[in-house]
Parts: sequence; structure tokens; C-alpha cells
Amino acid sequence: MRADDRTAEFVEFTRTHRRDLVRTATLLCAGDEAFAEDVVQTTLTRLYLSWRRVRRADSPLAYARRSLTHAFIDETRRAHRRRETATADPAGELVAEPTTPGTDLDTRAVVLAALASLGPRQRAVVVLRHWHDLDVAETARVLGCSTGTVKSQNARALAHLRTVITPAEHPTLEASP
Amino acid sequence: MTPTPDLKRALALVAEADLPSPDPTDDLARAHRAARARTRRRFRAGLAGLAVTSILGVGAATVLADAESPSTEATQVAPEGVRLVAERFDAAPYSFDLTPTGWSVQGQSPTAVTIAPDDGSTSAHPDDFRGKLVIMFDANPPHGEAVDHEGRRFWIAESDGYTTIATHTRGDEPSGVVRIQYPHDAGWEHPSMLAFLASVHVGDGARWGLG
Repeated sequence: MRADDRTAEFVEFTRTHRRDLVRTATLLCAGDEAFAEDVVQTTLTRLYLSWRRVRRADSPLAYARRSLTHAFIDETRRAHRRRETATADPAGELVAEPTTPGTDLDTRAVVLAALASLGPRQRAVVVLRHWHDLDVAETARVLGCSTGTVKSQNARALAHLRTVITPAEHPTLEASP
Repeated sequence: MTPTPDLKRALALVAEADLPSPDPTDDLARAHRAARARTRRRFRAGLAGLAVTSILGVGAATVLADAESPSTEATQVAPEGVRLVAERFDAAPYSFDLTPTGWSVQGQSPTAVTIAPDDGSTSAHPDDFRGKLVIMFDANPPHGEAVDHEGRRFWIAESDGYTTIATHTRGDEPSGVVRIQYPHDAGWEHPSMLAFLASVHVGDGARWGLG
């Protein structure tokens, strides 16, 4: 593949899909825009460096989303993001104060806070399962874990979201596998 | 309040903010810089590899996976290899029985150690892990292809740009999983990756990291 072709394809891909990647990164990073932008930039650079794989992918966007998720997980392993020690259930340490959202903006803030209170991998499960509508098997493949782990992480995450977002206001936050 | 009919709509409230029309210029510039840096790194590693005469039998190989030869970038075909020597070093609370020559500890904490190549090809910031080894300790289950090495089980997982190998700590060490993330283009092969991870000792001060 000639460099000119790669560059042209990369530019077109970025023009078309960057916003999608930013949206996904924003969810993964729980609204931290700077963090999300870092993850997107890292992802796009990695994609460029392995552009042949992007071209060979059945869905370049799906490949990019997977790469983005990996970049996010990688980033959360960086030392400055790993200062806390893990607990058996990170969400279990949170002080769950149910909040009743008022407007969409309020709701957005509540959802952001709820996402931020999940562990990185739980958040990734929520985003992959409920934003990208991946099934359990595909989510497990992206995250490199078992389907059982996806199911349990998803159930825990939804249970926690129900706790911090007033259940009565969000009756459909029901756990699905 | 505005009812939120489902989780997807709640997520949409977060994700679907107005975003400017993307301008790929900066992304392309970063990508080109990274490609040039990779080419330089491979070339330097190749020169170093040619000078290596002893590999301790743990791995020297040519890494050309996904090598591309675009017309605007220097073509590189240099062999790469990491030389491990039987020399102990400490990055408390972790210690290592083997030392990769040409690599140095850049950052250490109870949850992780960062080891960077000495050739200056990576960031001097210890929290920037690109192109570096990251030794992590956590409670996450290992995943990937299981292999046995020196009587212990290891799991090898490949992801974009990295190979991560994990194993359970020894019986006399703090309970958990120790794993090393190796960048793909830094000259490490599975035998050397396994040997280096097998040489890690987790000390009492180690703590689980999140992630």
C-alpha cells in the first residue's frame, strides 16, 4: 500500500468517524473531555500505524471502536490513574445518594457522575453493551474476558446505576445479560 | 424531570453533545510523527541487534509484522532483539532476576513499574507508557492463550500494539496477578517476554492497581 493511499484513506476515515469515536470515548471517560480526546488521538495514531489491518477489517469503524476501547483500558492502567487500590467491588465503596434529575442537563450530570463511579472495565461493558449494542460474546471478545465476566460486570454496573440514578425515574434500567 | 426511557437515551445525553466538524490535519500530523518515530526506533534497534552476540537463549527474532514500506518513509528491515542478562535489579517492591540490556526503570510504585528503552525513543514521562514495558499487579483474572513455562502457567493476550502476559504470583508472594505489557515494536518476542515475567518477584509492599 502506498503512503499516499494510506494518508488519503486515513483522512477520509477521520473526517467520517472521528465524532463517533469522540462520543464513545466521552462515555468511556465519563465525560472527561481531555481524557477522551487523548484516547481518541492515541487510537487514531494506532490505526494509522496498522492501517493494513483497518483496511482488512470487515468494519473499519468496529475495528476502530475496539481499538478505542483498548486504548481506554490501556490508559486507565497508567500509573497516575492506578493510584487507588482495587476493592472486590469498586462501586461498593461509593456513597450512593440517589439523585432525581430535573432537566436533560441535570440528567446528563447525573449520568456522568454515575458512569464516573463505575470501574473502567464496568464502564466499558456498559458502553459496549448498551451504547454500541454489542452482544455478550462480542463484548467479551473486545474486552478479552469471558462472557460470564461480561454478564456479571454488566449486572453489577446496572445495579449500581439504578442505585445512583433514582430507580423510579428510570424504570427501564433493568439488568439484561 | 425529563423521563429517561432507557439507558441508551441516558447515555445519549452524555455522548451526543454538539461536536465540531473534524479536521484531520492534526491527527494526520501525529500519525506521521508516530510512523517516523517507529521507523527510527526499529532502525536503531536493528543496529543494536546486529551487535548482539549473546541472547541467553531467550529470544532474538526479526519483527517485521505489519511492516509497511510507504514511499515517503524509510524502509526498514532491521532485525530486532532484546538481550536478557542474568543480573538482578530492584524496583521496590518488585525485583527482577533478569535485566534487559538497553532498558531502564523509569517509574515505580506499589502498583506498577515502568521500564523504558535507553535510546530516547519514548517519552521521558513515566506515566506515558507508549513504547515501554509496564509491570502491573492487580486482582483481575488473567486472560488469553495459556502456556506453561518453568512450571508456572502464563496467559498471553494480544491487543492493538501490545502483548500482555500475565501469571499468578508465587505462593510466598502477595496474592494477585502480575502482568507485563510489552509494546509490539520494541524487539520482544514471546520467549523473552515469558522469561522476563517469570523473573519478576512481587514484594510485600505491592498493592493491587485498578484497571
